Amino acid sequence: MTDATVTAAPPSRGRRSRTRSLLIHGALIAASIAMLYPILWMVSGSVRPQDELFGTTSLIPSSVDFGSYLRGWMGLQVSFGQFFWNSLVISVLATIGNVLGCSLAAFAFARLRFGGRNFWFALMLGTLMLPYHVVLIPQYILFLELGWVNTPLPLIVPKYLATDAFFIFLMVQFFRGIPRELDEAAVMDGCGPFRIYFRIMLPLSLPVLATAAIFSFIWTWDDFFGPLIYLNDINTYTVQLGLRSFVDSTGTSDWSALFAMSNLSLVPVFLFFLFFQRLLIEGIATTGMKR
Amino acid sequence: MTVHPTVWVDEARPAAAPRRGALRRMLARNAPGYLFLAPWLIGFFGLTLGPALVSLYLSFTNYDLLRAPDWVGAANYVRIATDDPKFAAAMRVTFIYVVLSVPLKLVFALAVAMAFNRGIRGLTVYRAIFYLPSLLGGSVAIAVLWRQLFASDGLVNMLLWKAFGIEGPSWVSNPDYSLYTLVVLSIWQFGSPMIIFLAGLRQIPTDMYEAAEIDGAGKARQFFKITLPLLTPVVFFNAVIQTIEAFKAFTPAFIISEGTGGPINSTLFYTLYLYQEAFGFFRMGYAAALAWILLVIIALFTAFSFLSARYWVHYDD
Repeated sequence: MTDATVTAAPPSRGRRSRTRSLLIHGALIAASIAMLYPILWMVSGSVRPQDELFGTTSLIPSSVDFGSYLRGWMGLQVSFGQFFWNSLVISVLATIGNVLGCSLAAFAFARLRFGGRNFWFALMLGTLMLPYHVVLIPQYILFLELGWVNTPLPLIVPKYLATDAFFIFLMVQFFRGIPRELDEAAVMDGCGPFRIYFRIMLPLSLPVLATAAIFSFIWTWDDFFGPLIYLNDINTYTVQLGLRSFVDSTGTSDWSALFAMSNLSLVPVFLFFLFFQRLLIEGIATTGMKR
Repeated sequence: MTVHPTVWVDEARPAAAPRRGALRRMLARNAPGYLFLAPWLIGFFGLTLGPALVSLYLSFTNYDLLRAPDWVGAANYVRIATDDPKFAAAMRVTFIYVVLSVPLKLVFALAVAMAFNRGIRGLTVYRAIFYLPSLLGGSVAIAVLWRQLFASDGLVNMLLWKAFGIEGPSWVSNPDYSLYTLVVLSIWQFGSPMIIFLAGLRQIPTDMYEAAEIDGAGKARQFFKITLPLLTPVVFFNAVIQTIEAFKAFTPAFIISEGTGGPINSTLFYTLYLYQEAFGFFRMGYAAALAWILLVIIALFTAFSFLSARYWVHYDD
């Protein structure tokens, strides 16, 4: 990966700046180890003998045993395979919904002209600050009446209705940067709004759509509060709920298995981090994402 | 081929309006916009505005999901304000958490961003490493890990023993310390404000520092007279976002205390208390009142931040 700042490094100015840079690197490496130690500890803890977890501070296990992964996978009456499948379905469908719903609204706000546009836009911005808890109970009652509790629907359907205003805002900002001449030319060629949205806006907005998709996937995958409220049947559990049940059922008796499942639950997020790190970091730098 | 007058598209210049049919013209003008906005409008009324108003109504009732809501006037609010030790505990815990975790997180984020800003080698690698906890930290897995780290025989105590010969307490199950383990967890996730600071630091023109150096200003002076003032908009942004997030924190406290907010309410975050009232005891009216109080707190905080901003946030132009 290349980065502008790396190439912009000032030329070193003699021995003093060299010791200085050594010091900085030393400090940063120490800090990096401290930052990653807990995560590496969990990785090594999942494969090492249980008693070693409470006897040594070293990251290197004396022997490696992947049995904890099998014990964890089958640790509850429903296997983690089911939880992973549930999480995947919810996260994929919610991500599609978020990108679709928010991009439709963002296109209207950024490009179309209609009465009351500024009014609605202001209201949309107002919902950015609204804590979810204020709508939580009536939403729960609504979904209960609809018979949606214990189904993934309450976690998916709202995304298609663009309830996460943050992503609308993100996309509006990006759409506004696309030259208007493009849609004007398309209009001259007889394109309607839907074709402009599909053929011009979406293809030209792939970076922002990808950023939104990745963040909505990760946030949905990590979400604990929503599933905790809407999913009570163990067959419908997401990975996060499965982990929590696992904590409750094993308590602190089988840490290796608990760590094993914890590690697995982080794998999808970690893969996004590995492959789309640049997009994630740029997304945060340009929009001020909270996580 | 004739070019149709299009009134729906938001061109830089107003399009020529067709002569006939005012109603038709109005429809042609507004229909596409509202069509695209329809999903959001349904969501806004059905899932945001409507529920927010319903929960305001419910906050003046007793409601257990089974019987119809029973109007009790301001009784819920009166009880919260005068006769609810758990509410007082939740407020105290949440405020301590916000007041400690947000500034410390921002200080770490800024310090590391400053170290990076010198254009060191391997920046992308360091930056990725420091960002990773921020990305993973919200999950149940990390909360589970934290329970082990700060257990009586966990990693932290082993390290303390090895390094200093100190026998540490059981951090998570001691009410004097449990909250601070969550503060540490929050600080550990300084990655995203760090990236925002880094982006902000790059906006500061380097010639300002060169000029200051010629004038004989030291590094500390440069930091306080150039970097910090020019960075205040970013500090402001990070502070507001992180504070609102901290008010809403839930998962780590829930996992570490097994949903109880214990020991002795020491990790009873506001949202955890709200969850217990709503979905533990099914006191929906009371929980709705708690939710509206949270909304008011966040709104007041935001308003106060923006009002204070004019005195300390530096905006050029």
